[in-house]
Amino acid sequence: MNGIDFKTAIFVAYKTITRGNKSTAVFTVFILSLSFFNLMFVSGFLNGFSDGIMRSMIDNSTAHIIVMPQEKPTVKEFILNQEKVRAQIETIPGVVGTARHYQLGGSFAYDKEKMGEFKRVSAPVIGVTQSEEKKILTVYQNIVSGEFPDDLKNDEIILGANLAGGFGTKQTSDLGGAVVGDEVQVTYSNGIIRTYTIKGIFKISMGGSVGGTAFISAQEAESVLSVYDNASEIMVRVDLIHGTLDEYVEQIETIVPNLKIEKYTNRLSTVGILVDAFNIIAVIVTVISIIVAAITIFVMIYVNAVNKRRQIGILKAIGIKESIIELSYVFQSLFYVILGTALGLVIVFSLVVPLLQIRPILMPFGNASLVYTFVEIFINIISLTISGIFAGFIPAKMVARQNILRSIWG
Amino acid sequence: MIKVDNLTKTYPGEVPTQALKGVSFEIKKGEFVALMGRSGSGKSTLLHQLGLLDIPTSGTVLIDGVDILALSDAERTSFRLNHLGYVFQEYALIAEFTALENVYFPAMVLGGERNKERASELLKLVGLEERLHHYPGEMSGGEQQRVAIARALINNPKILFADEATANLDTVSSEVVYRLFQKLNKELNQTIIMITHEPEDRKYMDRVIWLKDGLIEKED
Repeated sequence: MNGIDFKTAIFVAYKTITRGNKSTAVFTVFILSLSFFNLMFVSGFLNGFSDGIMRSMIDNSTAHIIVMPQEKPTVKEFILNQEKVRAQIETIPGVVGTARHYQLGGSFAYDKEKMGEFKRVSAPVIGVTQSEEKKILTVYQNIVSGEFPDDLKNDEIILGANLAGGFGTKQTSDLGGAVVGDEVQVTYSNGIIRTYTIKGIFKISMGGSVGGTAFISAQEAESVLSVYDNASEIMVRVDLIHGTLDEYVEQIETIVPNLKIEKYTNRLSTVGILVDAFNIIAVIVTVISIIVAAITIFVMIYVNAVNKRRQIGILKAIGIKESIIELSYVFQSLFYVILGTALGLVIVFSLVVPLLQIRPILMPFGNASLVYTFVEIFINIISLTISGIFAGFIPAKMVARQNILRSIWG
Repeated sequence: MIKVDNLTKTYPGEVPTQALKGVSFEIKKGEFVALMGRSGSGKSTLLHQLGLLDIPTSGTVLIDGVDILALSDAERTSFRLNHLGYVFQEYALIAEFTALENVYFPAMVLGGERNKERASELLKLVGLEERLHHYPGEMSGGEQQRVAIARALINNPKILFADEATANLDTVSSEVVYRLFQKLNKELNQTIIMITHEPEDRKYMDRVIWLKDGLIEKED
């Protein structure tokens, strides 16, 4: 195969396309664009689903990075001097904000009818400073009753809807319909008993177990735990445009080498299994879509090649190498694939993505969107292009191998 | 120039058909030879074997000393392109190419220079200088056949094969094609082997090989 062979193959492909049936060409490009759209949409939607679940976890539960008390050489219950630690972490470029959490366990007692009949459930209680919390988590945006004020008083509590009960599906461990203004009694694991007025109720469908927790003020938590300026965890939100998660973790480890650092991905648990399952489904669906697209291209190019059998026979009769004929069909196939891919990209990014922004599909974690990385788009394009090369080559090879006279005269 | 020895061709099938049963003859350079015979006599089969469009079952075909049966597929393709010209009964032009493109295309594959100019000259030679940029579908049968002849000549073939090249043409067009072949034969010493059914065409030929039932019946 030399330069002249390439030039000849391009010439044959060019003439065959430009002098071929325009309607067939448009139809071919349209079908290929739909194949590419199918490939992009399904994988993008599943990516969007996984991305939405992860985003929900980050926004409502864990932020990006969790700093925990030291484990070595001795295990400590709290991070000491949390304000200083947070101030140091916040000096790292790209860190959006930090917030401390106190983790407490409590047994809730609620008398709905005020008849002395208490329903008791156990649930985690988190002590937060709402002004810090708002910088890193969006729980405050999911209040369905009451409010989550910045100055949450020591005798006020915010309940998750799954804990309060009465919001959607009944949970086995809810309070049976606690409402804003009611009182709940909490017995902490250290024996301290406090009574709180419910100030607000939030509802989060996706976000790990946070939907079944309660929030109290950090000062109240310190009062219960008899500590000051400590934290059970420091949640860190970062800007991933400026660095990767691993880079941020490394920098935080440099600042607080004795503390334990975790990425949010370590906290995914069942959500992680769900995300992994969706990622596997996305890969399977993508592979199937590529195979379907390849078969579509193959069938279309094969029909084209069979219809051009006479032309192929004539080319062979006048002494054109089979490799040139095959290459010309690969070029034709690539032409259709490139146009089909381009049209598919236009459909996805100019039509479907804006349409989903205007008329979003509501999912438990928020609005479903199509999510792609440049690498995924590139892989999809390359996959379809490679499919196009084979789908163009194989039918041309099959037809070109036929007897010359049979090709010409049928 | 061409030496054929005991050439046979059998088409496989439930009942194999022996189209050539052992044909031997020689053709010298510059001869204008006709293959004649009744339908089914084997003349088209013979021309296809000589033109390397098909593979004989047995025998020997030497063209300028080259045993064409010993060539690989790629070598046969190259031999066709470089040394043979073929004119089909049904023209066999590429519908997507203009007359000019159909003619210069075989030369383009060889990468020679001035291909378009030479193709234009050949189309002028066959009287189609006004039809260079017309597509086959826009030309008459006679015009298409003349394009096919020009195409067959573009690479200066050693042998020009014509398979009933005038069968689909009217009398006037047939006359034009024969005169063209005669001109090529006399002026350029072009070796031509042509199948024809018409005895009156004998006047243009140097020699006629008559075939009957896959064998040479006679030569005159």
